[in-house]
Amino acid sequence: MPDSRYWNPHTETLPLDRLEALQERKLRDLLDWTFARAPWQARRLREGGVEPLSVQTLADLRRIPFLTRADWMAAQEADPPYGPVLTQPPEAAIRYHTTSGTSGGRPLAVLDGAKDWEWIAEMWCYAFWGFGVRPVDTVFFAFGYGTFVGFWGAQYACEKLGALVLPGGNMSTEARVRMLADCDATVVCSTPTYALRMAQEARRLGIDLPGSAVQRLILSGEPAGSIPATKALIEAQWGAKAGDTAGMTELGTVMMFECDHQPGGAHIIEDHYVEEVVDPATGEAVGYGELGERVVTSFGRGFIPVLRYRTGDLVCRVSADRCSCGRGFDVYDGGIRGRADDMKVIRGTNVYPGAVEAIVRRVATWRSSRCACTPPTASATRSRCRWSSPSAATTCWPSSAASWPRRTRACGSAFGAPRRAACRASS
Amino acid sequence: MGRDGRAEGDVMDDSFEISAAETELLDVYERLHAILAEHGEELPPFAQRNAIKALAALWQVANGLGRQPGQVYDVGA
Repeated sequence: MPDSRYWNPHTETLPLDRLEALQERKLRDLLDWTFARAPWQARRLREGGVEPLSVQTLADLRRIPFLTRADWMAAQEADPPYGPVLTQPPEAAIRYHTTSGTSGGRPLAVLDGAKDWEWIAEMWCYAFWGFGVRPVDTVFFAFGYGTFVGFWGAQYACEKLGALVLPGGNMSTEARVRMLADCDATVVCSTPTYALRMAQEARRLGIDLPGSAVQRLILSGEPAGSIPATKALIEAQWGAKAGDTAGMTELGTVMMFECDHQPGGAHIIEDHYVEEVVDPATGEAVGYGELGERVVTSFGRGFIPVLRYRTGDLVCRVSADRCSCGRGFDVYDGGIRGRADDMKVIRGTNVYPGAVEAIVRRVATWRSSRCACTPPTASATRSRCRWSSPSAATTCWPSSAASWPRRTRACGSAFGAPRRAACRASS
Repeated sequence: MGRDGRAEGDVMDDSFEISAAETELLDVYERLHAILAEHGEELPPFAQRNAIKALAALWQVANGLGRQPGQVYDVGA
């Protein structure tokens, strides 16, 4: 009998040499397909000196030029609505989706065929199964079901693996909380922030979430799912285990998931992707344990081949043996740590919103926070950390960005547990 | 270099063992693909579209078993 701990016991437990051999064969197939059917991508590759036979192994991957969001977006704007990236005519597609639009720019539009859409659900199956979701489960989706791809693939994954799906679209938070409690949902899918919001609403309604049927939360859409303090807060307020996932519309689905051993990070689905981690400034590979930018090559979606896409996600890759689950898939320690374009240099120190959240969430009584960084001005030349609440406000003047964590904790103590906090920094 | 230290051009065998039942599923995938390629347009809508949906699902099996199922857009999947 196959080991039912894994969605695909063949590939999830492959030894490293076999896993890399599988990736290499898929990489060669992807190159063949791209050169045959994706002229825009093929031209970019040729301009970078890459020919079909010049990429045979993972070591050759570095020869492929990076693809950036700006490249893709410019191509789409020059040739709307999808750009010249498709391998098939649009009428061959069955799904249209867009990026979330949270970057501030125009959303990127993508198409998928029937096989691609099934693959998108397949990737979510790794995540759900790996976190312990089974056919007996009832899964509630706190999701808007719009053009943003979000949890769409996750819903189809739950149908595929045989769980009962509760679609919580177009509902108020109160209605969602009542429904998941009334229907005995055992799994809830949402963003980390919204999981906290639903818990807040449940308290207002007198609904005992820790006493409910919910056993697992599948989180996605924000780095907070792997921020220990935020995750602990969510797990405490729900009385359930929380598992992090991360995906992107450019791939159509998730590329990493946290298994039920909860190793403090997310496994890369390495039989379907090659993930590289590079220095955001130089593009050179960084080693295990070093923070860098994710670069992804996907073997899944044939409609839009994606090779060496600069994601902007900051990650810290560690070996698969970080986790005791037996998978051969490496782990992104701490999930996605932040965005390369979110980083602010304050007095010579790299500061990420996620790092601030990791500190703020340690103060148990704080329910929310806000962090704003402004560029230096003539009148504001010092780092400033301002905290406020309905009952009190104070301002700290850290001597350097490195003292932020200490100052932040000191400010929190001075407040005496404010209900709301706002953090503002300038330098 | 790969993570296990292999150099450029060092191509490895990527096959792994599968069961008899899984081999039969691969056969079903190949047969279904062939039916759709040769007779897809002759089938009534209910048969063609359900077969395409089944092929899209079986493609995941073939792919997950480490085979080379190719692309199936030619038959509508």
